[in-house]
Amino acid sequence: MPIRAAKWGWSRARGQRFLIVVLWLGHGIWVLLGPAPGRHWTRVADAVSRPSQSLASRWAQWRVNRREAARSFTETRAENARLVAELAQVRTQAAQEAPRLAEADEAVRLLGLKRQIPLDLKAARVLFSTRPAAFGGLILDRGQDLGLVPDQGVLVPEGIVGRLWSVGPTQAKVLPVDAPNASVAVMLMRSRATGVLQGLGSGRALIRYISNQEVVQVGEAVLTSGLDRVFPRGLLVGYVAEVTKGDLELRVQVNLSAPLDRLSTVLLLPSQPPLEVQPPFVAPEQKPQRKRGTP
Amino acid sequence: MRISPPSLLRQNLLCAAALGLVFLSAPFPRLQAVVHILLVLALAPRAGSPLTGVLWAAAAGWALEGSLRLYPHMGGTAWADMTLALVAGGLAGRWPLEGVKGWLARLAGLLVAHTLLVHLAVRLASGPHAWGSGWFWALLSLPLWGWAIWRAMYTGPSPRLG
Repeated sequence: MPIRAAKWGWSRARGQRFLIVVLWLGHGIWVLLGPAPGRHWTRVADAVSRPSQSLASRWAQWRVNRREAARSFTETRAENARLVAELAQVRTQAAQEAPRLAEADEAVRLLGLKRQIPLDLKAARVLFSTRPAAFGGLILDRGQDLGLVPDQGVLVPEGIVGRLWSVGPTQAKVLPVDAPNASVAVMLMRSRATGVLQGLGSGRALIRYISNQEVVQVGEAVLTSGLDRVFPRGLLVGYVAEVTKGDLELRVQVNLSAPLDRLSTVLLLPSQPPLEVQPPFVAPEQKPQRKRGTP
Repeated sequence: MRISPPSLLRQNLLCAAALGLVFLSAPFPRLQAVVHILLVLALAPRAGSPLTGVLWAAAAGWALEGSLRLYPHMGGTAWADMTLALVAGGLAGRWPLEGVKGWLARLAGLLVAHTLLVHLAVRLASGPHAWGSGWFWALLSLPLWGWAIWRAMYTGPSPRLG
């Protein structure tokens, strides 16, 4: 079948139609271009790309937030490290200051005791303790340079410590009251019975020469009697821990009140103090301890 | 009764006169709108050939916008004028005129469509703009100029005047 030939001829009417179409479309395109020729395409592109723009915006915001969080985390870690260092420094400083604070507290307590006893008391530091050894004692940092002489009484706010055993130029040795060769004249607070305290070691001592007829209660305070002319009357020595009857005398064991193992500063009484000092030193009475098994 | 088309010379002379009036009436926007619409809807569609009518309509649109000097991007009015001139010519070829009433009614419909299309085209071309009252005055005065155009182009001088 022969192919029919297309009529591509050019006529006046077709030319006019072509011109009309060109004019109309040209004007239309010119109108659509508007003041900013690309604004329509920009709007279309904006509308099409709005989801991706929103996603990109969220992504950027998320990155900013993450960066801020990381920066905050880094700053927090740095601050934490700085605070840890400061804390360690403060702890070290506190540890360094602790002995001085304890010494200051001890000094305050000693000052209180010094005000209660109207005597010329002198203070000295304990350099070393040889109590665990046989015939051991306490070494003080003052000696003849402070005018110390042997047989001066040594005490702390909790009670008496002992007496000066030997005095060197710059140091002195204290014989504690719980030493086996130490003896102190004491009396019981309630019965006023007097006796001699002899050391048993380890913060304990034994009162001798108290009659079987005396009534001694456990927990009763033991005071110095002043008869040994080392301690004035009324200083606290300790509390009765155990009372047993012997053949001729009571066997009274005493827990010494002074912490002989934890002394840092002590007060020294003058030599040959008066028997009685005013105002009298009154020790607080300890409640009687119940024995096990008794109601 | 089929109305015979007017002569080519008379149509183009009237179009040229109307275009001149568009320029001259620039200080009076309401009057200019009336003349502009008259040229586009009544004169240009029957000015010899469609291409001639489109050219006269485009010239009317450019003349109006050029004299107004309001729009940042001109051409919207000319494009709307061309479109309406083509539509009016098409209507005239498809449904030939039968009388002055149909002529006036057709002109009224074309005027409304022209107003809407002009505002749409100008809005596309240069952005939003205020609606003037020219379309209203054109519609109000439509019987007058419609009848005048009818007499001048289609029926000739009045039989009474000879």
